[in-house]
Order: sequence, then structure tokens, then C-alpha cells
Amino acid sequence: MAAIFLEIPWAVVLILLPLSGAMACFLWPAVAKSVGLVTVSMLALSVAGLVWQVMEYGVYRHAVGGWGAPLGIDLYADGLSLLMLAMTALVGLAVSIYATGYFEQPHAARFWPLWLLLLAALNALFLAADIFNLYVTLELMGLAAVALSALSGSRDALGGAMRYLLATLLGSLAYLFGVALLYHGFGSVDMAILGQRLEATPIVWAALALMTTGLALKTALFPFHFWLPPAHASAPAPVSAVLSALVVKASFYILLRLWLEIFGPLGVEGVETLLGLLGAAAVLWGSVQALRQTRLKLLVAYSTVAQIGYLFLAFPLAAGSGITAWNAVAYLALSHALAKAAMFLVAGNLLRFGGHDRIADLDRVVQRLPLTVTAFALAGVSIMGLPPSGGFIGKWLLLEAALQQGRWDLAVVMMLGGLLAAGYVFKVLGFAFTQAGVPHESKTVPASMEWAALLLAVAAIVLGFLAAPLLALVGIGAPFGISEVAP
Amino acid sequence: MEALGLLQWCLDGLLGLGLLWLAWRALACSDLFKAVVLFIAFGLLMALAWVRLEAPDIALAEAAIGAGLTGALLLSALARLRAIQANGTIVIPAQQAAKVQLSRWLAGTILLSAAIGLGYAITSLPPEAAGLSAEVTANLAASGVGNPVTAVLLNFRAYDTLLEMAVLLLALLAVWSLDGLPTAEAAAGPVLDTLARLLTPVLILVAAYLLWVGADAPGGAFQAGSVLGAAGVLLLLAGWRLQPSLAQLPLRLALVAGSGTFVVIALLTLLSTGRLLAFPPAQAGTLILILEAVATVSIGVTLAALFLAAPPGHKEKL
Amino acid sequence: MSTAFFYALVGVGLFCLGLYTLIVQAHLLRKILAFNVMGSGVFLVLVALAKRTEDALPDPVPHAMVITGIVVAVSATALALTLMLKLAKETGKAELAGEGEE
Repeated sequence: MAAIFLEIPWAVVLILLPLSGAMACFLWPAVAKSVGLVTVSMLALSVAGLVWQVMEYGVYRHAVGGWGAPLGIDLYADGLSLLMLAMTALVGLAVSIYATGYFEQPHAARFWPLWLLLLAALNALFLAADIFNLYVTLELMGLAAVALSALSGSRDALGGAMRYLLATLLGSLAYLFGVALLYHGFGSVDMAILGQRLEATPIVWAALALMTTGLALKTALFPFHFWLPPAHASAPAPVSAVLSALVVKASFYILLRLWLEIFGPLGVEGVETLLGLLGAAAVLWGSVQALRQTRLKLLVAYSTVAQIGYLFLAFPLAAGSGITAWNAVAYLALSHALAKAAMFLVAGNLLRFGGHDRIADLDRVVQRLPLTVTAFALAGVSIMGLPPSGGFIGKWLLLEAALQQGRWDLAVVMMLGGLLAAGYVFKVLGFAFTQAGVPHESKTVPASMEWAALLLAVAAIVLGFLAAPLLALVGIGAPFGISEVAP
Repeated sequence: MEALGLLQWCLDGLLGLGLLWLAWRALACSDLFKAVVLFIAFGLLMALAWVRLEAPDIALAEAAIGAGLTGALLLSALARLRAIQANGTIVIPAQQAAKVQLSRWLAGTILLSAAIGLGYAITSLPPEAAGLSAEVTANLAASGVGNPVTAVLLNFRAYDTLLEMAVLLLALLAVWSLDGLPTAEAAAGPVLDTLARLLTPVLILVAAYLLWVGADAPGGAFQAGSVLGAAGVLLLLAGWRLQPSLAQLPLRLALVAGSGTFVVIALLTLLSTGRLLAFPPAQAGTLILILEAVATVSIGVTLAALFLAAPPGHKEKL
Repeated sequence: MSTAFFYALVGVGLFCLGLYTLIVQAHLLRKILAFNVMGSGVFLVLVALAKRTEDALPDPVPHAMVITGIVVAVSATALALTLMLKLAKETGKAELAGEGEE
């Protein structure tokens, strides 16, 4: 039995299953909720299957159509892809449980097909080994994300979604231009083959510029972050969770892969420094803006801008620190996904409860929604980078990499970022204890919504204890190359 | 021949410069209607450029989708926009003359340098490069079709096409989830009515032909599907609407059929050969034809539904 | 300069022209037009450079990519137009709030 379980091509299942699920939800909207929940649960099982398979057999490469690169398209799963897929499955499951309580008909019938298509796009993206295939998955993901953002139909949501659509389309187009240049320069769109054939010619610099800019725009790196706060804040809560946790990580993942496989070996210190600088600016600016917000969802959105900056701080550190910096990125991405999703779900609960998300008017919610506030506190611990939490491990690794190379400037930025994060997390928690000026009528929050938020937050904390096995998993297939410097 | 070469050069030069000029006029025009019409002309000129670049498949797709359907979508959107703004109050944004000028100059200079950089990078490429054409030619016989573009789209890189069908379906789901737009009362005059009656069967026939011939000559599912979509748009303009009994599950089945068949065939190939979308050479031609046929219907229905932009049962009128 | 490079440069020109309009113009319909022009520019680069093969037939893989790209572009355009119209219905104008700066 176990043998059969290991032989199933889980990677393919991860893509075909949500596609079928989405179509089923579209054809029979009355059962969309159940079909959706079953599909997402099976996705979680499939990821577990794939993890087991990769741990047994090593990296998984599937030549779609039997042709193999460069003629055909390859699917590829190594430790990094597994981490991203597991992140998607976990957050996806929690958000789906949350969504069953959050959406009523007719919104539910619209949500589920779009959500399952977004999951299909994310899975296909994390399994892709072909840069044009990545473009198609990027577009699928982007359009699904925009449609989900606009679901509530309010003026803010529509404006945020429109801005998001423009940014995502521009990013994809710049990325596609880069793909075109790389293909015509080196005759393939497969990442492994490009990595072998690449030389430092003007075409590569042009492609690097285009693709980095396009993907940085999609990841909302400072100064391209302008579209993120309105879009993430005005979307329905489960959608905001997915956008901040998963969608921005997907474009970052592509940037990381391009860097590791194709552009990194070229020796691009100038670009690394620039990315690090922008990351530092994002950390500081995002955190300061988060402190200034009066609405919870906007605060959490600006926090995302800041946390994304941390991911980019690894670029200038990577050359000298071996794999420590990249391990930090993997850990930070995963813990941020869990913690940020939890925070947005909490915001959704508070919105459902009081009808608003003004921080100053959080009317003693610690008494009335204890699970929700606990979830926010735990998620906040991870965001601040306090032990024990996944965020702590990630920041610790990054700090270690910075201090190893004497990059005191980056270390100071990280410390400041942590302090500012503590500022805005405690601001929210403080108001959770106080009484509002004018009491509001409260509505009940379904248990599924509270528990989903809490479980995600607890997962972010539990990550703090799983450093060794998790980093071992990420290392399968050596996605970060062989470290030159012994840590 | 010397004269022929010179003539081709003049043609290319005119075409290229014409494209740039039309694009600039379309984007800089102050009247939106003129801008859209110029854009449609731009699309048609692009189709000519594709022909010049020996890409007849793309020329067909561009003429039908890029110029035709996109043009129809833009004109329809413009009409609805005018109706919305006629009903409501029009807000005129205040001008910020100096700041706008500065940002324009800045954007212009940055983009000009980017253009020069990109141009330099492109001209530094070797003048001859085979790309993947050798691999395609070598495997064409095993692919089941004779047209190399169809072989790439539906065999070598069929996975991309599967995802692309999902993108098209997603666009429709997204438009429907936005709860539809006010539709103008279709007042079809006798000319449009007769035209629709005459052209629709012709368009369906052309679509079927493009589908069938796409295996070995320029054509294929996307081109055929877009012609079918054009027929749908014509019918919608003439005031025809789907019967309510057909508008729920049957319509949804038609929309989903293309990607659904793709997924089903993907699963079957996975189960039988262990590889996703691996077509056995003997059955490849038939499988591709089935895929293309269902995809054509789906694409046509989806494009027409995108034009209408209102989910079935949507009642709001302008 | 051969045909291939000429059209590729035209493609670069279209891309930059579209990008300029996208940044500078505020009206959403113009932005959507700009996107389509940019897309056409990228497709031109893809297909023009595919003509550099030694024998008569061009490289078919970029052709397939462009057909995929055209379908994706029309999907995105349809969604963008619908969003624009819904926004116009809510706010009375087809522009994003606070337009005029990046």
C-alpha cells in the first residue's frame, strides 16, 4: 500500500486537482463550499505525499508530455518548492475553513472557483521549471487574485483591485519581455539549461533588469509597494490573508529561483546591493507607516510591506554567508505567511464582530473574543521576531549572516524593524483591553473563523521548534547551491 | 533580385513606422472613440506585420482576437462608460500643471534610455540562431500534426495551453463575479439583423475549416474559436440572447468543456503512460483534434460571454 | 540590419511608448490601450527574433508563446474593462483616486 502511495505523481495531482475542483464548483454552485473544502483537504494530503516522495527518492522532475526540456516543459520539486507548497497547503486549508464561515451565498459560489484556480496557479508556479510556463502561471495567479480582491464590490475594493491589476499586469509584461530576451539569447526557456548556457552578455543584463523590476513590482518591494495597502486592506479578510501570505511570496519565489539558477553566478553585486537597500527602506518605511495607521487592516498591510523588505535583505548577504542567508529567507517567508494570514483572519473576525476595524475602538475584545486576540498576540510574536517562533529563527539566521560579514548597517535595520513591529503589535493589543468610547452592537463570530486564525498563529509559533527538520527539508536538492563558507 | 529586396525593405519600413505612428496616435488622441478605432487599425496592421514575419497562425489570431474581439470589447466598454457618465455627475480632476510636466519629462528620459539599452541588447544578438526549430522539426512526425505551431501548442507545450484555457475561464469567472454591467437595450435595425443571419453560418463554417485545417496548415483551435466568438458577438449585437433554460448548466458545461476535456485527457495520459499529457504517436493526431474541437467551442462561447459581460439572469438595464 | 532586428526594435519602441502612456495618462481606458500596445511590442520582439533561423522556416516555439500571450492579453483586457466600468459606476469617473503621481 505504501509503495502505491509513493508512486502516485503527487506533483501532477497538486495541479490537476484544484483545476477540476474549480470547474466542479463552477458547474454546481450549490455544493461549492463542500467541494471546495474537500479539494483543499486533498491538496494538503497530496503535499504530504509529495514531501514523502521527495524525501524517499530525491528531487522530483517530471517531463510533461514525455519530451523533456528544452522542447517540452518540466515540473520540478526540490526542497524549496516543497516548502512553498507546504506553506500554500497549510494557509490554504486554514483560509478555506475560515471562508466556509465567512462567505454566504451568493458570494460563496463566486469565491470557491476563483480560490481553487488561485491554488492551482500557486501549485503550478512552485512546481515549474520553465520560465515561460512561469509566466502563464503568474498571469493565472494574478488575475485570480485581482478577481478575489474585488469580490466585496465596494468602492475601496474596486479601486484597490484596479490598482492591483495594473501593477500585476505591468510586472508580468516586463517579466515576459525578459523571458523573450533570454530565449532568443540562449535558445531555451528551461531554467536548468539556461543556468548552464548563460554568459554575461548585454542581453542577460537587459533580461535581468526587466525581470527583476517586473517581479519586484509584483512583490511590492519599496518603492513599488503603492498598490499593496489599498488592495490588501479592502479585500475580504480571507482574501487579504491569501494575498499577503501566498501571492506576494510567489513572485518573490520566482525572483529567488532566477537568482539562484540563472543570474546569481554572474556576479551581480550592484543589483544585490540595490535590492538590499530597497529592502532596508521597505522595512523602515513599512513599519513606520504601520505605526501610523488607524485601521487594523491597513496596519497589517503595511506590516506586509515591511516584512517583504526583510526577504530582500538576504540578497547582499548571500554571497558571503553560504546558505545561512537563504535559509533565513525560507524561514522568514514561511513564518510570515502563517503569522500574516492569522493577522488578517483576526482582522476579519474583529470586522465581523464590531462592524469596523478601527484600532482605537476595539471594545474590550480581549474578553469577548479571547481566541481571536490570542491569535493576534501569537502572530505578533512571530512578526516581531521574539522567541519562540518561526519569525525569531528567521531573523536570527539573517542577523547571524549579517554579523558574520560585518554588515552592521543591515543588523541595525533589522533591530529597528523589530522594535517598530513591537510598537504596532502592542498598539493593537493595548486597545484590545480598553473600552471603546461608544459601545457597538456586536455580532457573533463563527467558531471556524476564530479557530482557523488561532491555529495559523500557533503554527507560526510551533515553527520556532522545527528549525532542524525544516531546514533539512529545504536542503533537499541543494536549491541554494553548495555553501562556500562554512557556517 | 535587387528591386524585390528594395521593395521589401520599403514595405517593412512603412509597416514598422506605421505601427509606431498608429500606436502613438491611438495613445495620444484626446477623443477616446478615435483612440479605440486607431487601436483597431493598429491591430490590423500588426496582423500584416505577422504575415511579413512568416507567422500566419499569429496573423489569424491577431486579426480575430487582437484587433477584432479586443476592439469589440473596447467599443462596448466605451459605450457603457459614456452611458454611466451621462447618468451620473462627471467629476473633472484638477490639473497640476507643473508637477505633471516634470514627471512626464522624467518618465520620458528614463524610458528613452531604457529603449536605447534594450535596442543595444537586442542588436548584440547573433544574426542567426536556430532556437528550438531543429528539435521541433525532428519530433514533428511523432507529434501527430503537420503544422509546427500546432504541434508546439498542443503537444510539446500542451501544459501551457492547458493553463491558458484556465486563464480564459478564469477571466469569465472574474467578470461574472463582479456582478455584471448594465447592458444597453439592443435595438437591432434590419441591416444588422440581416447581416447577423447571413454571416453567422458563414463564420461557423470558417471556424470549422480553420479547426480542421489547423493540423497541417495555419489555423487551429484559438483561431477557430475566436471566429466562433466573433459570430457570438454578432448575434449578441443583433439582440439574440440565450434561452433561460439553456443559460445555467448547459452554458456552464460549454464554457468548462475546453479546459475540462484537457484535464480529462491529462489524467488519462497520466494513468496510461505515467507522464502527464504524453500522447502516444499513433493516437496523437486524434487526441489533438478532439482537444482542439472542444476547445474551439469553449473559446468561442467564452469570448462571446466576455463580450456580454453579464452573468445569465442579470437584469439591470441602462 | 535584417528584417528580424528591424521589427524587434519596433517592438521595443512600442513597449516603451505604451509604458510611457501607462505612467503618464490617468484615464483607465487609455491605460488599458497602453497595456495592449506594450503586449504587442513584446510579442513583436519574440516573433521577429524567431526569424533568424538559417533555413526559410522561422522558429515555431515563440509563435506558440505569442498565441498564448494574445489569449492571456484578451482575458486580462476583458477583466480590466469590467473593473473599470464597475469603478466608474461607483465613483463617477474612470480614473483611480489620487492619480497623477506614481
